[in-house]
Amino acid sequence: MTDTSGETQLQRAGRWLALLPSLLAAAVLFALMVMTFFDVILRSVANDPIESATELTRLFMAIMVFSALPVISWRGEHIVVDLLDPLFTGTMARIRDAIINLASGALLLWPAWRVWALAERARSYGDVTEYLNIPQFYIAYFIALMTFITALALLARGLAFLFAPHLVQKAQNPAADAN
Amino acid sequence: MLTAIIGFAAVLGLVFLRMPIAIAMALVGVVGYAYETSSRAAISMAGRLIIDTSQDYGLSVVPLFILMGLFVNKGGLSQELYRASHAFLGHFRGGLAMATIVACGGFSAICGSSLATAATMSKVAMPQMRKYNYSDELSTASIAAGGTLGILIPPSVILVIYGLLTETSIGKLFIAGILPGLLGIVFYLLAVRFTVARKPEAGPAGERVEWPERLSALKDVWFVIALFVLVIGGLYGLFNFAPLNLTFSPTEAAGMGAAGAFLIALLRGSLAVRSVKEVLVETAHTTASLFAVLIGAWIFSNFINLAGLPTALLELVTQWSVAPLAVIFMILLVYVVLGCVFESLSMLLLTVPIFFPLVTSLGFDPVWFGIIVVVVTEISLITPPVGLNVFVLKGVLGDVTTATIFRGTIPFWIADILRLMILVLLPGLVLFLPKLMH
Repeated sequence: MTDTSGETQLQRAGRWLALLPSLLAAAVLFALMVMTFFDVILRSVANDPIESATELTRLFMAIMVFSALPVISWRGEHIVVDLLDPLFTGTMARIRDAIINLASGALLLWPAWRVWALAERARSYGDVTEYLNIPQFYIAYFIALMTFITALALLARGLAFLFAPHLVQKAQNPAADAN
Repeated sequence: MLTAIIGFAAVLGLVFLRMPIAIAMALVGVVGYAYETSSRAAISMAGRLIIDTSQDYGLSVVPLFILMGLFVNKGGLSQELYRASHAFLGHFRGGLAMATIVACGGFSAICGSSLATAATMSKVAMPQMRKYNYSDELSTASIAAGGTLGILIPPSVILVIYGLLTETSIGKLFIAGILPGLLGIVFYLLAVRFTVARKPEAGPAGERVEWPERLSALKDVWFVIALFVLVIGGLYGLFNFAPLNLTFSPTEAAGMGAAGAFLIALLRGSLAVRSVKEVLVETAHTTASLFAVLIGAWIFSNFINLAGLPTALLELVTQWSVAPLAVIFMILLVYVVLGCVFESLSMLLLTVPIFFPLVTSLGFDPVWFGIIVVVVTEISLITPPVGLNVFVLKGVLGDVTTATIFRGTIPFWIADILRLMILVLLPGLVLFLPKLMH
């Protein structure tokens, strides 16, 4: 097997790895939209709102945001200021991006560990949600786990800038959808 | 005060090195907080914010409004909007550019993003204006400027972010955006008239459209009107009568809007399963990046408040007995300058934690300040050298230089400054509608 096909396999593996959390985020978002719609309709027509809508909304939001976070971190889709891009080109830009991503990933490990500790505390309290009795710590563990994976994704992106720059393409700034 | 200034400078340094804004603000916020208290308190604060923010019910308004905007885009309603405004305005000199402005305003009423409004409108308005030999300057500038209305006329993603950052009512912010948005349309129309008065060949008149055809064109925009009335009317409490008894929370309004836009796109057959998936994934990704910056901005503003910057600024203002309005004008000047170099969302995130406490403690209305900030942000979207709307147009069209577009936007930019002055001096214009809400 030649090197190039090995690389494409690696890239393909990366794409598949990113697909699952993206699909999960998409499904949860769609569910959120449909649920909000029917909650309002049922409240109006039958005076019978979906009682668990609020806590499901919270749950869906956490799942969506934290499924997407590692993916956008690996792809470099965080909101950045690209004002000085013309000053950094070629190797300079690569080294800058490597350092920034490695530093960001390393820095995130600390709060990730803290979030994990908070999740363990939530488990010891044994709190459950009001209507559906879902243990609070499930979602806390999920957030902690995904924060860790986000940190790892940033570290991997930093390393890729150093050793495998073809894996990391320049991403567009997602601020575009908000402005 | 000094630690806060050092912290702010550190954030600027890090973001210029292309560190994600979220991480730069969070990092400086945690370090600064640790300096003021203890590292244990700082990291606990950050950890709590990460867990709580992602499960905050109020924040669900963000993905739902972004989703609505993207579905509206897929629905292809821009064509009808342009046809209708063209039917009424096309026969005036500069009429096609005026139609563009009005259609942009209409599109803004269902889409919360300026860049999306400009990008979508350029596809339908530009070919028409080319057909009638409009100058590139006038045609591109009318789209770039008209597009900025996207973040002022509700719904608006930027207003949502402001509302979340400052805990200001999103419903009131939305309602407050309506009149300034209409004023913006009027001023832009005047800017078009001004341009063609100076250079008549820039915008020749089109053919007059007869009334029956006008009315049929108007009929086609009912989707847009229905969606706007559903979302904004619901927020305003328009349906709060028996037997409906409906008043929407922002999240519900956004959910109804997203579902409505989804159904419209579905009915019009412009939505493939594949593009539904794309829209959902894109929304989720944008939401995640916005949540990251929101968490970062909150951590940072916890530090800024703890370090006493707002109080120190307030003391400074009282000590020098600066008139409150003069403070506002200084802030506006800062925004116009920052707007030349910063992309608008970054500007908002970096400045609001510092200015907002000062402005409200001087007795200004938080809703009014939000609208003012958004109007300044609109200006930054067409200000060289980084005016994003101009670059969006350049990206879509390809064959026009940014210099041409920037030259064309000058009258619109002046119109914006005039509108800003009016809104600053007559806050009642902003606060009139939200005051009527209960």
